[in-house]
Amino acid sequence: MELLRQACWLLWKDVRLELRRRESLMSMFFFGALLLFLFQFSFEIRQDRVAEMTPGLLWLAFVFTGMLALTQLFQPERENFCLEALLLTPFDRAALFVSKVIFNLILMLLVELVVFPLFAILFNLQYWGLLPSLFAVTFLGTLGFCVLGTLFSAVTLKARARELLLPLVLFPLLIPVVLATIRCLEIILRSGAWSEAYPWLRLLIAFDVIFMTAGYLIFEWVVEA
Amino acid sequence: MSSARRGSTILGALALVFILVGQYWGLVKAPPDAYQGDSQRIMYLHVPSILTAYLSFFIVFVGSCLYLWKREPRDDILAYAAAEIGVLFTALTIVEGAIWGKPTWGVWWTWDARLTLTAILLLIFVAYLMLRALIEEEQRAAVSGAILGIIGFLDIPLIHMSVYWWRTLHQPPSILQPDKPPWENVHPSMLVALAINFVAFILLYFYLLSQRIRLGEKQAELRRRRLYGRR
Amino acid sequence: MRQLSKAFGSQWALRDVSFDLRAGECVALLGQNGAGKTTLLKLLSALMRPTSGAIELARPAVGYLVPGAHLYEHLTVGENLRLFLALHNNKKTPAEVEKALSRASLTGAQDWLVSALSAGMKCRLLIAKWLLVEPGLLLLDEPYGPLDGAGVDLLESFVSELTRAQTAVIIATHQIPRALALCSRALVLTRGRLVFDGPRDDAAANLDRLGESLLPRGEAWSY
Repeated sequence: MELLRQACWLLWKDVRLELRRRESLMSMFFFGALLLFLFQFSFEIRQDRVAEMTPGLLWLAFVFTGMLALTQLFQPERENFCLEALLLTPFDRAALFVSKVIFNLILMLLVELVVFPLFAILFNLQYWGLLPSLFAVTFLGTLGFCVLGTLFSAVTLKARARELLLPLVLFPLLIPVVLATIRCLEIILRSGAWSEAYPWLRLLIAFDVIFMTAGYLIFEWVVEA
Repeated sequence: MSSARRGSTILGALALVFILVGQYWGLVKAPPDAYQGDSQRIMYLHVPSILTAYLSFFIVFVGSCLYLWKREPRDDILAYAAAEIGVLFTALTIVEGAIWGKPTWGVWWTWDARLTLTAILLLIFVAYLMLRALIEEEQRAAVSGAILGIIGFLDIPLIHMSVYWWRTLHQPPSILQPDKPPWENVHPSMLVALAINFVAFILLYFYLLSQRIRLGEKQAELRRRRLYGRR
Repeated sequence: MRQLSKAFGSQWALRDVSFDLRAGECVALLGQNGAGKTTLLKLLSALMRPTSGAIELARPAVGYLVPGAHLYEHLTVGENLRLFLALHNNKKTPAEVEKALSRASLTGAQDWLVSALSAGMKCRLLIAKWLLVEPGLLLLDEPYGPLDGAGVDLLESFVSELTRAQTAVIIATHQIPRALALCSRALVLTRGRLVFDGPRDDAAANLDRLGESLLPRGEAWSY
């Protein structure tokens, strides 16, 4: 519970900073919207193909905007040696992991809340009834993305060319999340049959649980001197 | 010559012998495959090389865990060496797959589950090497590498499952049936060829690993000398 | 601390440094630029791992003050203090926080953004922070830099208060006369090695011999 208290304080700090500076969220919104236009220009999405392309395109938009957030995620700690200041306190290092995962998750979910309807409007989709189940799947996928993303955002903190290195390290590891989320979305859009999506859902949940646990256990070594 | 070095040399010589015998057996003694003809013979290299690639992942994982736990530079050298050789064997597997794919499927590359999987393994190994190369401070690089080594290993079953399902649930399975037990309807000398080559690759793998570890130790020794030789 | 060494690449920053600290002791850490002062402080605060050697601390809470660093610029003074006190698991009341701030002449600055503070005010804020946290060992890295006269008075009263409360203090600085006036003992580092460890009077007498460029040429000094 000490961990949760500390994580709440760190999360409070990140939210305050974001509210004050509005750096990540604004750029993510615009980038997400921009991507939708780019998709239209490059694929010429026609009405008859939109159903099969939707899951991949949507998820691609989320992953790219998410990368934007990840490269900024530890920016406050990089400035002014603030990570050192945190490490001087006797707090549980895993609290930093938990708070950053939640913070990145909040940012991405907010962007998804806007991009989802925007996508539906721009491409004239009629899926409003399926929205809750689509959101549930997207949430699980986003969580997995945030967990590994946060971990490796911290790992690459002191690397050269870290903005380039991060996607290079992250994307191969994220393949199960990407595949599972896209397939789930596709199954739901196509037939709405949960039973067909179950193996993928289980995989997604397994991914989230395994790497949340691993990240929690390993994070102390990520930020240590 | 130290005993470790002598051991390594013996390993290398044995590997060479087994490779030569294995090639003879695979190329000459074993009969051609009933359906695929001679192109199937590349399997005698292909299967052992992917197995050694997986072995690399496991050794990287073990070395990474030990390093995080005990902080012995020795374990880090082991993990780094295994990752480098892992790149070699995964790349080799992909090239062999392509060479086999051209006469069999008519294309160099197809999004077959196993080909894709091997390509992803290669990407992870390359990411590991990049990560280590781009972090200046030695301890930091070692710790970061160890974390990627552990996470990557934990990820493999998940990647494996997702890629297989993606191919089998989404499209009809490829020409090969991965679930069919290999010992059915197989000529015994085919199995012998495979076994010899498997031993050969394991020997070769450990020979390269021991050489790469020795190189790592020499580098560490050099750094230590530079440091302590100076006032 | 025993046989402490730290290397960066193939360069030693610190070589076999050993000394003991007693509770309530105030030590001046002197040395030229690049002698290893900051490295030593970072090792002591566990922000770096030694290449070899070990540190034993009786009270694990180590404070480390670097003027201008360790504050979230886009949080207010009050938010910074609340965050760090919470993470230090420190249960000071708002009244006590306000009192510490007023001692640091930052009364009413709770709602100011740290980015709007001057360098001296940031330094005072850090002093207020460690005043509230009460660490077992406090490390000061060139604390005099941005402080005005009143700020120096604050710093020195803060240090003597801590030493009375059995906190050991190490001050790394180039303000040798000031530091020696405040401290009872001096350590001198030259190129990563500890060349002097003794009472300040001996240090004062030997300083010309110990570090050839510790003082500007021809400057007379006393404390």
